Amino acid sequence: MADSPEAIKKHIKLYTLIGAVLFVCTLLTVAVAKFEFLDFGQRGFDSVDAIIGLLIATFKATLVALIFMHLNHEKKMVYWLFGMGLFFAFCLMAIFAFAFSDPIEFQAFFGR
Amino acid sequence: MEIPFVVEPRKDTGLNNSKIGIWLFLASEVMLFGGLFSGYIFLRIYADYPWPERTLPVLPGLINTFILIGSSVTVVFAWVSLKLGQWRKFQVYMAITIVCAALFMVLKGIEYNAKFAHQAIRLDDYTVVEGHAHPQGGSHDYHAPKKNFNISAESVQINLSRVDDAYYEVMGKQYADGGMVLASKLTLNDGDVFEKGTAISKELIDQAKVDYLAAAANNSEIDIELGREAWAALKPKFPGKRYYEAVEGSKTLSEVVSAYTKELKKQRKEDYQTTTPNLTFVPNTGSASITVNPYWGKLSNPKEGDKGTLKLKDETLISGVTADSSIALAIDGIDFRHTVMKAEEKGIDPAAAVANSWLLKDEKINKIWKKHELITSKLKVLLEEDDREPTENDIYRINWQEIAGLQETDIADLEAMDYHDILALYPGDIEGFAGPDHKKIHYPEVIVPREQVRFESVFSPRWNTYYATYFTITGLHGLHVIAGALVLAYYLFFGRKMFEQRPEWLANRVEVGGLFWHFVDLVWIFLFPILYLM
Repeated sequence: MADSPEAIKKHIKLYTLIGAVLFVCTLLTVAVAKFEFLDFGQRGFDSVDAIIGLLIATFKATLVALIFMHLNHEKKMVYWLFGMGLFFAFCLMAIFAFAFSDPIEFQAFFGR
Repeated sequence: MEIPFVVEPRKDTGLNNSKIGIWLFLASEVMLFGGLFSGYIFLRIYADYPWPERTLPVLPGLINTFILIGSSVTVVFAWVSLKLGQWRKFQVYMAITIVCAALFMVLKGIEYNAKFAHQAIRLDDYTVVEGHAHPQGGSHDYHAPKKNFNISAESVQINLSRVDDAYYEVMGKQYADGGMVLASKLTLNDGDVFEKGTAISKELIDQAKVDYLAAAANNSEIDIELGREAWAALKPKFPGKRYYEAVEGSKTLSEVVSAYTKELKKQRKEDYQTTTPNLTFVPNTGSASITVNPYWGKLSNPKEGDKGTLKLKDETLISGVTADSSIALAIDGIDFRHTVMKAEEKGIDPAAAVANSWLLKDEKINKIWKKHELITSKLKVLLEEDDREPTENDIYRINWQEIAGLQETDIADLEAMDYHDILALYPGDIEGFAGPDHKKIHYPEVIVPREQVRFESVFSPRWNTYYATYFTITGLHGLHVIAGALVLAYYLFFGRKMFEQRPEWLANRVEVGGLFWHFVDLVWIFLFPILYLM
């Protein structure tokens, strides 16, 4: 990790900028949920709003992870550890998703 | 002892140990919160009630997001300051971070507090009404019960094997005040006699309980002894026979033994003790007023004036005539979505279901609904221009802003107004920062009779799965904020010595603490839109 005093000094501006971007994105998240003219899809909450809201949140989270948590220049081992955590969290969601293939509701899936 | 790899990286991992440690921990945290998030998603997808969409006041959540993002920036700056050897700057940035954490928790506390003071009732026809419950019976005492079951008791039956000290402690005074006395003479096995009319007391119940349990134990010991004796006597008479096989005509071995045991019991009749499993008390004045918190028991018939029994969780049965147990609710929210959902399930016209609902029989509420229908019709016309239509929320839910904003406006005036002009009458977000403020605005009060109440709760995890997940996830997140702030505060207040002796060590520790702090921020980045805006 490039954390010599000189390199760190260079990063100060970047950290401030990322902070500002996060603030703006937060306002944007609220705006797309609150203002009619920014409401894509149907009126009120729908899947389009869910996708937009989660995309902005993912973008913000990525910035925090890459810049504040220094994942843009980490050792391989860190990627493995964090990546595995994410992978298993998604696996868990996938296991939950099997509830959709309940044989009572979706008989074709398991045969009759 | 010198701790290895505090600053310098290990050859095999390429990282120092604290870094490995924190990332392992964060990986486990990702899975923990991932599990909770997936729980939320699937509870929402399969919810059997209309999900409370965009129901939380956004402002506290938004401010908290800003606070956490700001603290994420300051914690990075605190680390940068250490790396550059600037202790004073480190102190300032770290102090701001900790103040941010404290502010976050204060706002969370305000939010939680507003939820716990906010009452919701699901009526018998599935209409949901929200508001503040006032003390029962028009009392002006702030501490008076708001939701108690009240009964005019004609008898109290105490189950001696289940009676619970905690319940008796609270109920005992009411029994005594009501003049509860023994309904019939009680003779204990130890010779003590309590005449009919003896006043209820803890001592009496305790003594009767001890006597009953001892008698029951004695009798069961004799039963076991005689059972064994009967089996020992009869088994050899029918060698090789199992208990279910017929031995005398069509009688099984088991039946024969049981008949013989009965004979033996008759012979030992005098060894058995009298058992009195229940004590019945009656008020010496004919009836006594009893009031009980609904969490403690169940009322068999909630209709005022009808015969009913209040069953406490310790099996105490209080029988009598149900008294007024209604809930006086100052209504700040009405939701017919569940009524509509149930009507559609039964194939009933939703509009008719709403029009015939119990709540709309109240004149004040009916006026509010009429205004709401007018507003919805205006909205519909407006949306049609963009090929859109009002949502179920628009049509069937009335929120506090609408009730508060239109109280003074007559429906005839509304008819002449534009939709956006009507919205301008609503109070702003700041006026209801964490929810409707009943001190500033007077909301219409409706007396909800107990038989109309299907389910009632404050906005706690008990109310529905949305609030259960909301409190679970935000509560766990709040604990992370507290833990993170404590660790960072430790570096701030006790880090000076290490900074002077081994500045690299402190910088590493702050980096690791900071990583945890960023993770806490990262979780909130998802929590805010999911819980507040979706």
